[in-house]
Order: sequence, then C-alpha cells, then structure tokens
Amino acid sequence: MKDLTKIEEILLLAIWRLKDDAYGVKIRKYVSQITGKDFTYGNLYSALSQLSKKKYVKKTLGEPTPDRRGRRKIYYTVSPAGVNALKAAREMNEKMWEGVSDYAFD
Amino acid sequence: MKRRQYHPPRIAGWILKHTARYEETFALIGDFDEEYQEVNHKSGALFAWFWYWRHCLSSLPVFVKDSVYWSFIMLGNYLKIAFRSLKKHKGYSFINISGLAIGMAVCVLILLWVKNELSYDRFHEKADRICRVTMDLEVGSTLHTPVTLTAVGPALVRDFPEVIYSTRMLPPNRVAVKYEDKLIQETRVGYAENAIFEIFTFPFVSGDPKTALEAPYTVVITESMAKKYFGDEDPLGKTLRFNNEQDFSVTGVVQDIPSNSHFRFNMLRSFQTFITEGDVSDDQWFDVRFYTYLLLGENVDAKTLERKLPDFLDKYVGEAMKASGGSIGLSLQPLKRIHLYSDFERDMSANSDITYVYLFSGIALFVLLIAGINFINLSTARSATRAQEVGMRKTLGAVRSRLIGQFLGESLIYSFLSMVLALVLLKLSLPLFSTLIGRELSLNFIQTPWLIGVILGMAVVVGVFAGSYPAFFLSSFQPVRVLKGLLKVGASNSRFRRVLVVFQFAISIALIVGTLIVYKQIVFMKNTELGFNKEHVVAIPRMSDAIRKSYRSVRGELLGLPGVIDVGASDLVPSRGHLVASFLPEGFPDNQRQTLDYMNVDTHYIPTMGMEIIAGRNFSEDLATDQDESVLINETAAKKLGWEDPVGKRFVFRPPPGQEGETTYTTVIGVVKDFHMQSLREKITPLVIFYDYDNLFTVSIRIVPDNIKHTMDLLKKKWGELDPNRPFNYFFLDDSFDNQYRSEERLKNITFYFSFLAIFIGCLGLFGMASFTAEQRTKEIGIRKVLGASVLGIIRLLAKEFLILVAVANLIAWPVAYWAMNRWLQSFAYRTGIDPLIFVLSAVLALSIALFTVSYQAIRAALSNPVDALRYE
Repeated sequence: MKDLTKIEEILLLAIWRLKDDAYGVKIRKYVSQITGKDFTYGNLYSALSQLSKKKYVKKTLGEPTPDRRGRRKIYYTVSPAGVNALKAAREMNEKMWEGVSDYAFD
Repeated sequence: MKRRQYHPPRIAGWILKHTARYEETFALIGDFDEEYQEVNHKSGALFAWFWYWRHCLSSLPVFVKDSVYWSFIMLGNYLKIAFRSLKKHKGYSFINISGLAIGMAVCVLILLWVKNELSYDRFHEKADRICRVTMDLEVGSTLHTPVTLTAVGPALVRDFPEVIYSTRMLPPNRVAVKYEDKLIQETRVGYAENAIFEIFTFPFVSGDPKTALEAPYTVVITESMAKKYFGDEDPLGKTLRFNNEQDFSVTGVVQDIPSNSHFRFNMLRSFQTFITEGDVSDDQWFDVRFYTYLLLGENVDAKTLERKLPDFLDKYVGEAMKASGGSIGLSLQPLKRIHLYSDFERDMSANSDITYVYLFSGIALFVLLIAGINFINLSTARSATRAQEVGMRKTLGAVRSRLIGQFLGESLIYSFLSMVLALVLLKLSLPLFSTLIGRELSLNFIQTPWLIGVILGMAVVVGVFAGSYPAFFLSSFQPVRVLKGLLKVGASNSRFRRVLVVFQFAISIALIVGTLIVYKQIVFMKNTELGFNKEHVVAIPRMSDAIRKSYRSVRGELLGLPGVIDVGASDLVPSRGHLVASFLPEGFPDNQRQTLDYMNVDTHYIPTMGMEIIAGRNFSEDLATDQDESVLINETAAKKLGWEDPVGKRFVFRPPPGQEGETTYTTVIGVVKDFHMQSLREKITPLVIFYDYDNLFTVSIRIVPDNIKHTMDLLKKKWGELDPNRPFNYFFLDDSFDNQYRSEERLKNITFYFSFLAIFIGCLGLFGMASFTAEQRTKEIGIRKVLGASVLGIIRLLAKEFLILVAVANLIAWPVAYWAMNRWLQSFAYRTGIDPLIFVLSAVLALSIALFTVSYQAIRAALSNPVDALRYE
C-alpha cells in the first residue's frame, strides 16, 4: 500500500465527510474552506484521478443539471482500500505527534 | 423556478477541454460551469467571468504537467510495441533499416560532394566582384577560350573606372626548382601580377602583399613549400633557381591554397619578369598566352560592362581584325561560375560540370526513394499482422490521430536507427568515395554543424514520408471488421505495392543500362585506332635549352641504349594540347585566312609514332629546303581546303602589315593519315606539320615492350648524365591519352556503385515481399501440393508474379535510359552506338537477380510439408 500524500489525505477525508454529496464543486469548496486557500480545480482533479487509479475512491455518475450544461457529476465515495489508507495515515500521524505537547512550539 | 443560464467564457472553456486530459474531464468542466453559474448569481457577470478565467489559468500548469506525464506513459507503451515488433520480425526490420541506412548514407555522401562542388572559389572575400576575361576568336574556325590578349587587362583598368584591378596569369605549371642541394620537379608554379593579392584572398604568412610581386625575379611561395625548401629558416630573401636558368628571390609566403579553388599554385613568380626580359609589353595585343582576372568596383554589373567591350576592342584591334577577316569578342565570366559552368578550350584546370551535380543528386535521391518505397511496401504488406493490434487499440478507445501518431513514431524509430547505421556506413565508405570522385571529402561535424541538422532532418523527413502511408492505411481499419476476421488485407493495396516495385526496378535497370553504355564508350575510346601507336612511348617534356641545342647528339646517345627502338621530337604530343594559327592557302583571297592547328616535329617523329604518310613523303634530313619551305598536312586539312591532290600545293606567308619583307611560300610535300591529337570527344582538326629544329620541346622514345623497367632505369641514368640539373620527368603516352577520360571513368565508377546499391536495396525489398507472399499463401501451397502440384510448378507460381513486375520495369526503363544516354553520347565526336544487346543484357541481369532473390523463398515454400501448413484446418 502506497502512502498518501497530504493532499490525497485531505481529499479522502473530505470525501468521507461529505458522504453522499461528494462531487467536484463541493469537495473543492470544502477543502478551500479547511485550508483557507482557494484550492484549484487543477490540483483537485489531478489528485482525484490519482486516487481513482490507486482505487482508494469509487466513482458513480450523477445526474446532469442545467447549471452544468448537460454534463454529469461524478460522485466519489471512499473505498475500503481508501479507508485502510486513511487509517494508516492517521496512525502514522499520531505516532509522529506522540509525546509532543500541545505547547511544544510556543 | 428556472434560473437564468449564463454562458461561460468560450475560450477558457476550450482551453480547459483541450488541456485537461483526465477520464473525469467532463465532470471537471461540469463543475466549472456549475460554480460559474453560482458566482454569476451571487456577484455578477463580470466577477464570474474573472472567476472562470482565474481558475482556468491557475489550473493550467497542473493539467499540462499531467497530460505530458500520461503521454509519456503512452509513449513508453508505443516504444515497447515498436521494439517488440522490430525484434519479432528481425528479417523485415533488417531489410528496412539497412535499406534506409544505405539510402541515407548515399545521400549524405552526395550531399558532401555537391557542397564541395558549390563551394569552389567562394572563400575569396571579394568573390562576387571577381571575373575572368574570356575570348571568342573567329578566324576561319572558332576558338572559345579563357586565354586572352595580353594587353586587355591593363587597358581595361585604364579605360573603365568600373575595373579596379587586373592581373594576368600564366597557368601553374611544372618546373624544376633548385635550392642549394635540393632539386625537385615542382608542380603548380605560375606567374602573376601583384594585383592578384588585391583581387583574390590569399592570406600572407610573411612578406608584404602590397609589393611582393612588384619587382622582377621575385616569387611568392606557399607555406608548405617554405617548409619543404627552407625548414625552419626564414624564407624571405632566399633565392630559388628555376629550370636551372633563372634565380628568383622569395618575397612572400602565403597560406596553402584550399583544394576548392579552380586554380592552385605552389609558387607564383612575378609577371614583371616577362616585361623586364622584353618578352611581354603592355601594349602588345596579338599575343595569346595569359589568363586575365579582374576585380570590379562595388555594385558594378558585369553584364553592363560586358556590353561596352565590343567598342573597347574596336578601338584597339578593330583595324587589324578587319584586315585578317576575322572577329574577336570578349566576355566576363564571374568567378563563382568558373568551376561548374566552363566549356572552354585551353582552360587552366579540368573543371567540373553542373550537369554532374544535378545527375548525381538525382541518383542519390532515387536511391533514397527506393529505400523509402521498400519501407512503405513492407509495412503495408505486413499490415495484416498489425491489423489485430489496431482493432484492439481502437476498441479500447484509441482515436485515429493517436494511432497515426503511433505508426509515424514507429517509422521514425526505424529511420533514426537507420540514421545511426548510416553514419557508420558513411564513416567507412568516405575514403572509398573520395578516391572515386577524386576529391578530398571529410565528415567533420565540428567544422560543419549544419550537417548534423541536415542528417537529423533527413531522418525525420524519411521517417514521416515513409511512415505516412502505412500510418494512414493502418489506422483506417474498422475494428469490427478486423476483429471478426473480415478484412482481407493484401488484395486492396497489392496494386499500389506492385507499382512501387516496378518503379524501384525501373530506376535500377536504367542505372545498369547507363553504366554499361558509359563503360562501352570508355572501352571504345581507349581501343579506337588513333592513327598512331600510343603503346610503349615514353615522352620527356620540357627539354632544357642545353639539350635542345645539342639535340642531334642527344638523340644518338638515346638510340644507343638497348631497348630503345626509335627517337623523335616535337613541340606538342597528342593528348597534351594543340596550337592554332591562321594560314593563307594559295588561291584563297587574303581575307579568307583559314584557322588550322599546327605542330613542329623533326624528321624522325612521324616514323617513331607509327603515323602513316598516305601521299607524298616525310621530311628528309638531306634536303636543306625541307626546314623552311616544306610542310605536311593531314587528311582533314586537305579536305577542309578542298585540295584533292595536296602534294605541291602551297601556303602563303606575307610580311606583317606595315613591315617590309618578301612574301614566302611553303609547299605541301606529303599528307599524313588522320590521327587523334586530342581526346575522342573532339573531332580531328585540320593540321599543318612543320619541320623545325628550333621548336622541339618534347622527345618521344619508342621502347621495346619487354622489360620496360630495365629500359626506364637505363633512360633515367642516361638522362641524368645528359641533363644533370633537372630531375628526370617523363610520362607514358598511352597513360597520358587515357587520362583524358578520367571524368568518364569517374562517371562509370559512380554509376556502377550506385546501380549496385539501387539493385541491392531493391532486392532487399523484393526478398521481403516474396517471403511475405510465401507466408500468406502457405495454405494455398499446401492444398496445391496435396492435390499433386510439383515443386517446380509451385516455384514458378510464386516467382512468376515478381518476374512480370521486373519485366514491366524493363519496358519503362529502356526508353528513359536510351534518351538520357543518347544525349550523353552526343558530347563525343567519336562514339559507340547504343547496342540493343546492352538492353537485353541489363534485362537478363535484372531478371536473374530478381529470380535469385525470390527463388530462396519460393523454393522454401515449395519444399515445405503440406501437413504443417494444413494441420490446423
């Protein structure tokens, strides 16, 4: 299993949190809000296509709406492999931060 | 409620669509549009427009990065497939790559040569402004020559402000040079005026270019000469002795003359020497010995100046020409045209011909074309094997443009591999080619960086050209038909392939016919009866004054040597130029003087050479009158002058106009059977032969055919005793005569090698095609064999198809070759006929080579066990 990059980790978490509403626009807004920066679609889809190549996400086609001028949405859900990857990432994070007090860098 | 729809910026949308290359791109654009509408409603159209553009542009780097990344992944796949198919079909790959490599190597060789030809005389800084004065003299017959009237140069500078400098030059010649104990027969020693250094660019190593050749008895030498004679000493001020007669002091050293110069010298003596000795004066018009070069002013049009020359000539020589009934014309030949566009008599060096440049470039392109055709042919023939792959790729979503790209890429791989092989071939064949064409060529990428570009460009062009047909053809397959096995590949494009094979062989056959005809003409020229016996004659040119004074006793000494049959002397020998003068035959009006060639001989020359007297008698030593009052003429002269019985006819010699003197007569005492003074390119010219002991420069010695080496040793020793101050310098008459056909020999060699290569590449292709056909028809052959077909019958079946193509190629090649070679032969006054046998021979040759090539595959197919072929049915 390959390690997740930070962006992939954030995206996977975002998808997991957004549950049934996880498609491009929503994911981008959510991530932008979390990171406090305008997350570009380029970075978003570049990472999403990586995630789907690694089979960490599953894609389902959504309905076309007039706002999208007939183009379908792709809804993302975290696959079991994706869940495992998230767990592994969390474990690693926790191990790294273990014993570092909250005030260590003050 | 239906909200109002805004249309997102078109250009930004287009950019998104074409740069984002993900599976999810449609959803990506949908997201963009959805958010765009949202922003529109929230913040207005202008803001939304900016929003869309900002996001589009800030995403761009990632899109581009990813799409490049993925095309690399795809490229890797293409490369993998390309190398797999290259390895899987080793035979085809070998044929394709080696064929293309040979084609490319030939092309680059020719390119190097053409470049060298075109570079002649370009190294002079003022090359554009330099021209040579050429002359058309018409007195009875015409003389078209770059040798002009001596006074022309100085007079042009005096009369026309457009002409800045002029120099007269005596062509670089052979001279014996002596310095201290060194005595060397030097080549390329000439005369020139000092202005030569103002006109041409010959950089000085030491000495002053402004004054080097101003004074008489000065000489400028090249660097390598300086090294040869003086080693590390300073050459300036040293004295060199020429022909053991005159001392010249060295006043300058120039860099060696580049090989791509139409004249080259090792030493140049000052022209002033002639003037000092009273041999030449600047107002001397009727003296035709020197070449004249001019430097024109900037922006002077040579053509305009040329139009003023008739008046100029009229002013100086009009009267005299009127008196003689002839005419004279001057032209200006630009320096840059001298090497490739000269057709003069008595030119300084054997120049090249632009026709050969076109001819060889054409041949090189054809060889490359043949190799390219092979490539197309084999790729389309093999398309059946690739059809499955195309079908599969298309099913999996490959678009046509990607497939075209893939196949073009594959052919580019082939052409680049060929290029590498071609470079190796080039390196190996360059020395051979250099000797073939008689020029020193080198492959130096550092000196000529453009060559890298040319070679790379050629690889790309060949790859794209040869790959485009297969690429478009293969990518057009419909996957459904291919995968169902409905596609009958082969039938649809076999006509196209046949046309290509016919074309290929037509080129090869035309080249074979050309080679054979050139060869036949050379054999013809070498074996034609010349009117004298050129074998076993040693000629010693440029006898010194001392030898000439005591010639009679020298002749006796030579005759005393064992192995010497006869000895004769003359001023000219056949193959080494001819002299013309105008004569007034008795009975012709004064203004109808006739231009005839002339030469001077002694009484023994005609018997020594084996020339035949067909009427009258030879000169006799015993008759004192023969020296001044008798001449011989040849048959052509008798015919030209209309003398049916020439013996006893006379030529009239009047004193020069304005001078006192008696009119004298010389009588024709005999007629010599026509003999070839010049190469067989030229018609035999009318000739008058004088008997004159004062003008004999060359001694011709007929020796016995056996033990030539021993005889030559004796001659050398004897000559050393007779003339110790000059090296023994001689040539064999037959060599000298045959050397005149060097350019034809060269042509023959080059066409021979090229036709060999063309046939070879063609056969490579034929072999590939044959093996492919045999493979395709395995089952058919199996069934035929089961049903009782004989081995021979099957071989015939397979070979017939190809032999018909080669036969058709013959029919196309013949008329083309006939037309071209007939034109070539027209340049020879004496020529062999175009023998139909040559065409038959080349047809047999091509057919048997083709048969041989095809038969291996045919025999293998015919001998195969039908069980193997039909096992799976």
